[in-house]
Amino acid sequence: MGRTEFWPEPDVLDTDVAVVGSGGAGLMCVLHALTARPDLDVTVVSKGAVGRSGCTRMVQGGFNAVLDPADSVERHFRDTLDGGKFLNDQALAWTLVHDAPRVINELETRVGCFFDRGPDGRIHQKAFAGQSFDRTVHRGDLTGIEIMGRLRDQMFRLGPRELEDVRALDLLHDEHGQLAGLTALNVRTGRPLVLRARVVVVATGGSATMYRVAAPAREKTGDGVAMCWRAGLPLRDMEMLQFHPTGLLAGNARMTGAVLEEGLRGAGAHLYNAAGERYMARYDPERMERSTRDVVARAGYLEIAAGRGTEEGGVLIDISHLGVAEVERRFPGMVARTRQIGQDLARGPVRVSPTAHFHMGGVLIDVDCRTELDGLLVAGEDSGGTHGANRLGGNGVAESTVFGARAGDTAALLAPERELRDPAADEVAASLGRAYGPLARTEGPWPFDLTTRLKELMWRSVGVVRDAAGLAEADKELDALAEDVQRVAVPGPPEVNYAWQEALDLANQVIVARTIAHAAAWRTETRGAHARADCPDTEAAPRYLVQRRGADGPYGGITSEVRAVEFSRLAPEDQP
Amino acid sequence: MPGEDVRVSVTRSDPDAPAEFTVPRIRPMMVLDALLAIQRTHDPAIGFRFSCRVGMCGTCTVRVDGRSVLACQTEIDEDTEHIRVDPLAGLPVLRDLVVDTAPFWRAWAAVTPYLVPGEDQEVGMDAEPAVIPPDSAERETIDPSLDCIGCAACFSSCGIASARRDFLGPAALNRAMVLVADSRDAAGAHRMDVVGAGSGVDRCHYIYGCTAACPKGLDPARAIRRLRRGRFGGKD
Ligand SMILES: Cc1cc2nc3c(=O)[nH]c(=O)nc-3n(C[C@H](O)[C@H](O)[C@H](O)COP(=O)(O)OP(=O)(O)OC[C@H]3O[C@@H](n4cnc5c(N)ncnc54)[C@H](O)[C@@H]3O)c2cc1C
Ligand code: FES
Repeated sequence: MGRTEFWPEPDVLDTDVAVVGSGGAGLMCVLHALTARPDLDVTVVSKGAVGRSGCTRMVQGGFNAVLDPADSVERHFRDTLDGGKFLNDQALAWTLVHDAPRVINELETRVGCFFDRGPDGRIHQKAFAGQSFDRTVHRGDLTGIEIMGRLRDQMFRLGPRELEDVRALDLLHDEHGQLAGLTALNVRTGRPLVLRARVVVVATGGSATMYRVAAPAREKTGDGVAMCWRAGLPLRDMEMLQFHPTGLLAGNARMTGAVLEEGLRGAGAHLYNAAGERYMARYDPERMERSTRDVVARAGYLEIAAGRGTEEGGVLIDISHLGVAEVERRFPGMVARTRQIGQDLARGPVRVSPTAHFHMGGVLIDVDCRTELDGLLVAGEDSGGTHGANRLGGNGVAESTVFGARAGDTAALLAPERELRDPAADEVAASLGRAYGPLARTEGPWPFDLTTRLKELMWRSVGVVRDAAGLAEADKELDALAEDVQRVAVPGPPEVNYAWQEALDLANQVIVARTIAHAAAWRTETRGAHARADCPDTEAAPRYLVQRRGADGPYGGITSEVRAVEFSRLAPEDQP
Repeated sequence: MPGEDVRVSVTRSDPDAPAEFTVPRIRPMMVLDALLAIQRTHDPAIGFRFSCRVGMCGTCTVRVDGRSVLACQTEIDEDTEHIRVDPLAGLPVLRDLVVDTAPFWRAWAAVTPYLVPGEDQEVGMDAEPAVIPPDSAERETIDPSLDCIGCAACFSSCGIASARRDFLGPAALNRAMVLVADSRDAAGAHRMDVVGAGSGVDRCHYIYGCTAACPKGLDPARAIRRLRRGRFGGKD
């Protein structure tokens, strides 16, 4: 029988564990799976360079873990729930704080990281906003390079199969609805791949790139969450998108949105509006600049919106009162970053704006990273619930490594129990049809303007502060975008074609954007990162929305269910 | 009078693909911004790589007017009206400016780039991190050499590494030096054998291309000198 498809015959590969993503969650998962079961065949599928893509690599500030005997995991837990406005899944948050010190041990002793030391030779911990104890472990102000560099080195010891520059497309079921593997696209060759796997771990790092001003690495386009969405899995807290208060403003340069780290505020940096007022006094007179991210980001946004921002639409961060030498010594990476764009953090104020940073929402998991679908695990930023309504600085890389490790342990247990299954042919065809569509079409828009449209829309209507009218507009506009995205055409060869890749990114971003707008319209209160101008109050009992795709396709209706948060360990009124 | 446009010449894999572009100047403007402008307004299919755009991932490395640099961190200053962008030297080109970094990583892997804890050292989630003061001799050797991002700018700018296959190159040797100096590591002797063998330190001619090229300000040439002398902890 002749083939009628417009894509090449896919290569087929079998593996025990397919790990999608090579950030902190992905590589910790590999480490743990192969430490537990060295005989496993583990495959890393990574859209960007292995260990050098994603945001774990970009972590500046550091990693929260309780190491000091004067600190306690209970306090870290309390801080995490206070920060998360008690929307957190308490089992996940507890797991995070409980395992974080153990992961630091492992990173140091097995992985070979070396974090900064205090004068006594023990790991130094610095202050980070929103925490009751100095517990942030770091390597200078470029912690992610040390963690990911060393994890990448471990891959040379462990030898998983590395599929670098390979984009995961879709999860696949067999004829009986059991997880069978995934489709993927080799970005270098343009060829499709079907991976049959006993266990699939999704760790693609969320989707916070879909805003005009945004911090993350380019790969983070909601691929993992969109894959799970298409496969029918439930999501939670999708409206909870964190804006970092201090993103650089560098005009139209790609640098715009890059983060100036939180430690600056911890170390005493001041924030000013264009009139020279330390405006945090209006929003949180007690904690001032050391208030939590949500409060500081919203304050900056409101100052700018009220016309008290700079010409470039920003506010100013100033730490130069510590003295040039001190700022250069403590924040060399940040100083270099500002000098790069003709400003100087060590010598004066620098223009900043809130910047989209991290997605608290994601796929529902349990403490072992299991999902509703047997054999499918999700870890890191793709999962939802750990951080509730707002993530503390320093809890992100802790989450990705803690849950990546647990996913690896779970995968090692599950893989021997699960058989390799044959993916349903119609699912493979549907997935590859979607992926090769933009390349096959000869007429249609390029993706770039649509990406810009999406980012502007999200910034304007689903951004730092939201209201019902804006969200209703966003809902309509996103439906229109969803249609346009399905008409995108890209010229050029299939090999190393990043315009094509952007078309595929965009399709996923729009899926995730729709769930964000939908959940944001549902939450008629202000809580953590989700601020509603028209609903400024916070309800007494936190509830969350669990969303799923409807039967009419990934761009169709959204079914949802409201659940009350269970205070399984701690209620807001409990004494610390 | 500085122009409001920047002309960019790009080496393309397909000899028929356009290679000369004019893009509007923005301020500030990095080489990456120029490449993005080409992609967005002239030729969507132009191949180049980046991820973090803040000098942390090390994947955007190209040669700009012959120098191996990070595209995202290299400014096109007001006086520059024209730049030429080539792929890195010494690595196979996949397409346009995208290279296959496998040879770089093979050299890296050859020095056993991961920590090898001693037999008696406990490792894992219940093991205690080592107590090592920051002003110890070993940390003073290691710390300034640590933030390598694997961008291969040194490899590409080293006449020897980029021209022949049997030199481990500056980044891998720098990594070896860091581990040999680390008191937590037990594979130093083995690593010294590797770096002392034919493709190791003796291939280096001390032209310092690597040190000049490193976007993180590391000094791989110094690491190579240290390895050659086989001494650690002291000043050189
Ligand atoms: C600028 C910045 C600074 C930060 N600083 C801090 C900090 O100081 N402290 C802190 O705790 N947290 C910080 N965070 C948050 C932290 O980085 C994240 O919480 C965490 O690292 C996410 O890890 P991850 O493993 O889930 O994803 P990532 O590390 O982002 O990795 C995602 C991986 O998935 C891959 N991928 C994406 N799509 C696909 C696909 N379709 N197929 C295959 N692979 C795919 C990517 O290539 C990448 O390898 C920061 C984030 C940013 C953006
Ligand atoms: S894009 Fe990451 S270093 Fe340039």
